[in-house]
Amino acid sequence: MKKILLATTLLLPMALPAAAEGELNIYAWADSIAPELLEKFTAETGVEITVDSYSSNEDALTRLQAGSSGYDLITPSQHFVKIMIDEGLLMDIDASEMDAYAQVEDKWKGQWWDPENDYSIPLAYGTAGFAVNRDLYDGPVDSWSVLFEPTDLSGSIAMLSYPDEVVSAAELYLGVDYCSEETSEMRKVYDLLEAQKSSVVAYTSDNIENRIGSGEVAAHFWWDGNVLKARNDGANLEFAMPKEGLVGWLDSFVVPAGAENVDNAKAFIDFMSTVENATIQYNYYAHSSPVELDLEKAVYTPENAPELFPDVPVVFAEACSPAAQDLVTRVWTDLLQ
Amino acid sequence: MSKGFRIWGLVPAWALMLLTLILPIFIVAGVSVGERGAYGGFEWSFDLTAYRQILFTLGWTDELEFDPKYLIIIARTLGYAAGATAISLLLALPVAYWISLQSARDKALLIYLVTLPFWVSMIVRVYAWLIILGNDGMAETVYRFFGGSDVPGFLFTPGAMLVGMVYSYIPLMILPVYAAVEKLDPALIEASHDLYGSRWTALRRVIIPLASPGLVGGSILVFVPCLGTVLEPMLLGGGRQLMMGTLIQNQFGGARDWPFGAAIAMVLLVLVVLVLILNARRATRQLEVQA
Repeated sequence: MKKILLATTLLLPMALPAAAEGELNIYAWADSIAPELLEKFTAETGVEITVDSYSSNEDALTRLQAGSSGYDLITPSQHFVKIMIDEGLLMDIDASEMDAYAQVEDKWKGQWWDPENDYSIPLAYGTAGFAVNRDLYDGPVDSWSVLFEPTDLSGSIAMLSYPDEVVSAAELYLGVDYCSEETSEMRKVYDLLEAQKSSVVAYTSDNIENRIGSGEVAAHFWWDGNVLKARNDGANLEFAMPKEGLVGWLDSFVVPAGAENVDNAKAFIDFMSTVENATIQYNYYAHSSPVELDLEKAVYTPENAPELFPDVPVVFAEACSPAAQDLVTRVWTDLLQ
Repeated sequence: MSKGFRIWGLVPAWALMLLTLILPIFIVAGVSVGERGAYGGFEWSFDLTAYRQILFTLGWTDELEFDPKYLIIIARTLGYAAGATAISLLLALPVAYWISLQSARDKALLIYLVTLPFWVSMIVRVYAWLIILGNDGMAETVYRFFGGSDVPGFLFTPGAMLVGMVYSYIPLMILPVYAAVEKLDPALIEASHDLYGSRWTALRRVIIPLASPGLVGGSILVFVPCLGTVLEPMLLGGGRQLMMGTLIQNQFGGARDWPFGAAIAMVLLVLVVLVLILNARRATRQLEVQA
C-alpha cells in the first residue's frame, strides 16, 4: 500500500493542476451542506469551493485508501473516523484549539472515535430506523419486530442495501452486541434476516423518498432527517420509535492526510460552526446539530419534528474488527446469494 | 512509408494500450493475489486466498467448507446476460432488417433514433423504467386496460431487470446487425424464392447466414456489459439476489476485502476473454470453410 501511495504521489504533479490559493475541495454526503452557506463562504473569503458527494461511508474510506483523493475536507460517520485515524488517513488539525470546538456540545467531546479531539469537529447526528407510510399501514411501530418479523407489512418492505446499517438494526432487535465476533450470535442475525427476506421486495439505497412516499412499499429502512423532510414535503410517513433502540450516527468534519488546502478547510469548519450558520445548516439538512444553535431561528422542534428527538435508546454504530466485519459480510452474502 | 515509421509510428498507440488497458489489468491481477488490509486496502504479496475463497469459505460452523454461493452468483449473472442477449437478438434482427428496407433518407433518420437514448445518462434511462413499471405506472395502466385485475407488480422482479438490460444495450445489437443486413443483396432472397424456398427458408438459409457477423458482433457487445451491470439489478430487480457487479462493488466497500473483489473481477475478465476467443475461433473456421 505504501508503495502505491508513493507511486501515486510521484505522479500527482502530472495529474493535478497546481493548487491555487483559495480552493477548497469537499467530499461530503450527497446534499448534506446548505448551498446557501457554500455561496456565503465564497462571498466572504473568495475561496472557490468544489463539492463532490458520496452515499456511503465505505465510498469515502475506499477513496482515501486508494491514495491522493485530492480532497481537503470529508464528513464520515463516527466509526469511520475511528478507522481512518487508526489507518493514518487523517491529518491532526488540533481540533480542540479551533473556534468551532468551543461551539460543540460537551457530550460530543472526547468520544471514543477521537478521544483527544485532534482530528474531528462534529457536523450532524441522527439515527437510522424505519418509516411506514400511514396511508397503507395503521398498525403499531413501537418495535423492530414490525419490520423484521412482519405480519401486516409482509411483501411491502424495502431495506437499504448497506449491510452495516441493516445488520446493526437486527442486532439491536435481537440484543446481540454490535460487531460481535461470535459466529453463533451472528447466525441468529442471519436467520432473522433470512426469514424476513420473503417479505422484502427490494434491498436498495436509491430513490427511497419516492418509493415510500408514493406507496410503492409501506415500510422502508431509512434515516431520521430524511423521513422528516419527506413528511414535510407531503408524504404521510411516520418514523418508528422501536423500544429496542435506534442505530445512531454522527458525522464529523475531518481533513485527509496530505490535503493541500488545510487552512481553508479549517476556516470552513469554523464558519460552519458559528451559531448563525449552524442554524442555517440545521434548517437545511434536517438532522440534529451537535453545535450550539440559535433556537429562535431553528425550524425543527420536538413538536414538529419528533424524528429528531427520539424517546428510545440510541446506540451508536462502532468500528468493527476485521473478524467481526467478516461475519457481517457473511450474513449479507448468504442472505443475497 | 518507410519501415521505420511503420514501427515507430505505432508507439503512441502501443503506449496508450499499455497504460490504459494492459497496466490496469495487471494491477487488478496484482491486487487479487495481494494480502488483504484489516480495514480495506491491501499489501503486495503472493497469496491465493482470494481465489480459494470463491470455492471454499468459512461456514456457520466456522469450518472451511465448499460453498457454491459464489458459483451460483456467477452462474446467475451468466444466465441473465445470456437471456438479455437472446432477447436483444430476437428483437434486433427484424428491426434492423426493416430499417435496411427504407429509403436512404429514412434509414439515416432511423439509425439516428436508435442511437438517441445514448445521449441520455444511463441512470436517467433506468429511472424512467422505474416510473413505467412502478405502482400506477404505464405498465399497470396498460395491463388494466386489457382487462387484467389483480396487478402482479412488475417492479422488483427478474423480468423488470431483463427489460432494463435489454433496453440499455439493444442499440449495440441493432447497429452491427443493421450494418450486416444492409449489405445483403435482395437478389439472393429473390433467388431463394425462385428456387421454391419459403419465407422461413429464405430467413434461415439466406438472411441469417449472411447477417451472422453482425449477429455475433452485436451479441458480444450486449453480453459483455450485461455481465458487469450494476444499475438494473439494483434499481429494477430490487437487489434481492446478488449479481457479479454488485458482489465486486461490495468487496471494495462494506466487506473491505479488496483482493477478493479483484479475484472476482479477474474471473469476470476470464469469462469475457473466453467468449471472445471462442468467437474468434469460430470466425476463423468459417473463413477456412469459405476458402
